[in-house]
Amino acid sequence: MTNAYTPEELMAVVISREVRNGETVATGLASAVPAAGCILAEQTHAPDATLIILGSRQYYPFPAGSSELHFMAQRGELDLFFLSPLQIDRAGSINLHLAGSYDEPALRLPGAYGSVLLYRVARRVILFRTEHTRRTFVEKVDFVTAAGVPPEGVAREGGPSVVVTTRALLAWDGDGKRWTLGAVQPGSTVIDIEENTGFPLVVPQPVPTTPLPTRQELRALRTRVREKLRRIYPGFAERCILPP
Amino acid sequence: MGAPFAAVRGLLGSDLLTHRPDMRVIGDPFQEGASVVAAPAIRPDVAVFHATRADRFGNTLVSGALRDDVMLARAARRVVVTVEEIAEKELRPAAGGTFIPAIDVDRVVCVPRGAHPTGCGKRYAPDGDHIREYLEAAAGEGTFRAYLEKYVHGPRDHGDYLSRVGLRARRKRGRDA
Repeated sequence: MTNAYTPEELMAVVISREVRNGETVATGLASAVPAAGCILAEQTHAPDATLIILGSRQYYPFPAGSSELHFMAQRGELDLFFLSPLQIDRAGSINLHLAGSYDEPALRLPGAYGSVLLYRVARRVILFRTEHTRRTFVEKVDFVTAAGVPPEGVAREGGPSVVVTTRALLAWDGDGKRWTLGAVQPGSTVIDIEENTGFPLVVPQPVPTTPLPTRQELRALRTRVREKLRRIYPGFAERCILPP
Repeated sequence: MGAPFAAVRGLLGSDLLTHRPDMRVIGDPFQEGASVVAAPAIRPDVAVFHATRADRFGNTLVSGALRDDVMLARAARRVVVTVEEIAEKELRPAAGGTFIPAIDVDRVVCVPRGAHPTGCGKRYAPDGDHIREYLEAAAGEGTFRAYLEKYVHGPRDHGDYLSRVGLRARRKRGRDA
């Protein structure tokens, strides 16, 4: 088995390390990377995590559709959810709606569905993007799908936790209302990250780096996780997770 | 549910609220100082969706992972279900599928392969090639019109549509209701 890994494998490993044992964790539509990360966590350090993976037979417990997941989150019973926004800004706000102006968008996405609600009511939300550029990390999003800092007096459980990309792990500082550089991914540098992020980051000293994926993590990912993932995201499992 | 609106937590601070005047921010009457969004009930005149089987009374079995069709059937005033096949015997709630009782269904139409180009549970997978063809066509005004002419306005009937997308109409199992 090779120690080299794909960008998606690295992100899945980093995400898996964020999942805590015993948590109730859910992934939504088009979320192959976090689905891989969550199953990896379950297969390694978090055997008692409850996984809810939309589109899976094995990991979807509700009989009546995705609304049940939203209701559960509104009751405050969802510990962790994942979103992949088009843009993320300095204030922790995310955009899953459009690029450009609302009336004449250059790009209109299918819509945010439950993400507006879930960004607020899930206890933590991990954002993920394979693209880490000034196009995705902007000073101000074109459209606030969900606000990083909600208006005064709004009851909320969680909100943004970290962003995972191929270059970095950014951590949201809820008190300071700003992003800090949580870790530099293998192969990246602080300069590389700063050049590709459209707002200033708090950079702690010394700068933490992401430990390389271990052989144990890669083996689990490429065997048990890949097998399970084939039934949910067959194309992704084939293309992005290497064979053992 | 039949409630006039739902109180939704978590929408506050979204630009969605500036573009959706039908959604209002109201005080939570049970919690001092807290706000929620009041979202009015959606009451469609007609809902149309595809299911695996229905009987002649309208009892319907839906398969697949996303099963919000039940909610759709309850919300709409009139409900038309297209199905892969009409069941000879009266259908009952069964394990492994979502059951929609006849009281929520107004019309059943037998349209095998009716979910194309999306999939229908275990019966058939989404037609990725056709969806790609649609995406490419939808990128331009002229190509999109040509797509509509070929697949939407052009076909004589459903069988003609199926042959245009490279599928043959299967023989209908069971009788039309």
